[in-house]
Amino acid sequence: MNKKHLHAIHITQDKCIGCVHCMAACPTKAIRVRDGKARIIDERCIDCGECLRVCPHDAVHTHTTSFAALDAFEYKVAIPSTVIYGQFGSATLPNEILSALRMVGFDEVYDPSAICELNTAAIEEYLHEHIHPRPFITATCPVVVRLIQHRYPVLCGQILPIEPPREIAAKILRAILPRALNLPPEKIGIIHLTPCAAKMVSINHPASLKKSYLDGAISIRDIYPEVINALRKSPDDALMRHLFPETLFSGVGMGWSLSGGETRGLKSHRAVAVSGIQDTMRVLDQVEAGLLQDIDLLECSACPDGCVGGPLQVENRFLAKSRILELVAASGDRAVVDQKDVSRLYHRNFLSFDHPVTPVETPPLDADPARAILKAQRREKLFQKLPRTDCGVCGAPDCRTLADDIVRGTARLADCPFVKGRKEKR
Amino acid sequence: MAGRAVFRQEFPVKGGDFAKAGAAACRIKELLKEMGIDVRTVRRAAIASYEAEMNVIMYAREGRMKLAVKPGEIRITVIDKGPGIADVGLAMTEGYSTATAEMRELGFGAGMGLPNIRKSCDAFRIDSELGRGTHLEITIHMNGHNT
Repeated sequence: MNKKHLHAIHITQDKCIGCVHCMAACPTKAIRVRDGKARIIDERCIDCGECLRVCPHDAVHTHTTSFAALDAFEYKVAIPSTVIYGQFGSATLPNEILSALRMVGFDEVYDPSAICELNTAAIEEYLHEHIHPRPFITATCPVVVRLIQHRYPVLCGQILPIEPPREIAAKILRAILPRALNLPPEKIGIIHLTPCAAKMVSINHPASLKKSYLDGAISIRDIYPEVINALRKSPDDALMRHLFPETLFSGVGMGWSLSGGETRGLKSHRAVAVSGIQDTMRVLDQVEAGLLQDIDLLECSACPDGCVGGPLQVENRFLAKSRILELVAASGDRAVVDQKDVSRLYHRNFLSFDHPVTPVETPPLDADPARAILKAQRREKLFQKLPRTDCGVCGAPDCRTLADDIVRGTARLADCPFVKGRKEKR
Repeated sequence: MAGRAVFRQEFPVKGGDFAKAGAAACRIKELLKEMGIDVRTVRRAAIASYEAEMNVIMYAREGRMKLAVKPGEIRITVIDKGPGIADVGLAMTEGYSTATAEMRELGFGAGMGLPNIRKSCDAFRIDSELGRGTHLEITIHMNGHNT
């Protein structure tokens, strides 16, 4: 398939100076520095974007959809993440932002908060019907889904099989719009606006769908300047949107992009929200060891504080969070979705995965069990020889990983300058 | 040569060190995954070793967890210096616990530790001497009955 874009993240070789920041930050140890350049090991990357956050040389880039690509569609629809409402200060109302997005070039823009509310209601229904296993894990964050596939394969069956709001919204629009507009489906482009690098991967290579209902993802970072311009140009429009708001936002769905926001609307289930990739891994380790079985639902987001901490947003995440909390407070617990509609869609399996999330096998030390054991032995002996200072000079993120690379045949002991030094002294 | 392949590693566990709770079990799990062992077998080992590690942290002064992996079999031996178990039969009963109120406050001490370990493994041996300590041997067969 689309091999080239197996990942959303790539390193621009010209800009990379071969420092060790990205390599040290990578939670799955997917980066090595070879010949003075950082390289990503495709099989290990889960597109979390930690490398992008820490690169001091702007050498880590993402494949997201460009504006030019939108011209392929006759009718362009945007479904922004609710993170966008936190990007433009507290004087700018969500309705103005949606209106500005129309001026930027989208024929229609749909607020996602109602669909977020619908998703929470569907999850509640699923939890009622399925007593085991516990805890279920939400499928909203594509990085967490990939992390589970790679590192916690046994937990794949605990991913709650309801599609996230972005896919549900696109699926609904895809069912309705061609008839409403009298246009062939392929002429309608449905684009997600996102602070997340991994959404593009979940669109190109969905983990639980045959095909994504979205046509692409534009980063909030890329669209931000256009929206600012549109907002500046149209103070009258802003006044009109203040006086005649046209979208009724869901209070239940408004805080969805903050950690805990997905599960806040649950009425009769116990949920725990975790955010940040390291903390997520810590908690998934516990789930794998059989803990947290008294929790119904575990909401995990790879980014700190939830999607609002996504690497491709613009506003300082604390300000964005504060702004969204204001909006949540303003809309209260207002529900805009009819529970009967949710139930109907749910029982038609309209909201479900096409297929379960399946493990992605990480190559073991050796395919032969006895040889794998011997290699694990040898790796431990090698590790004892290394300085354990995790300096990264060898091109691996830490000494343990270098030992692992050596037994896998992708590095040599001589790559460690300190081991060589000791030998020379003798 | 390959028939004699045994991987051994030892992990010290300190009594009362709740901050590091689960660290040894987690490392054991990682090692087993890297050796290409079936994920369901790994999970059984993860559950058993976590519970065993917690027992040392909660009740003993200090202990060691020894991992030995050979083709077809995982053995985890946990040796601790601590109070020992007065009535092993009773301790094996689901729901029986000598955990203090403090431990229960932290969410531990549901009395499922030893029963959970026994459920997760294929062979289980426990020797305990009051005032000295406990010796626990857990064996898990790859593709064992629980897998």
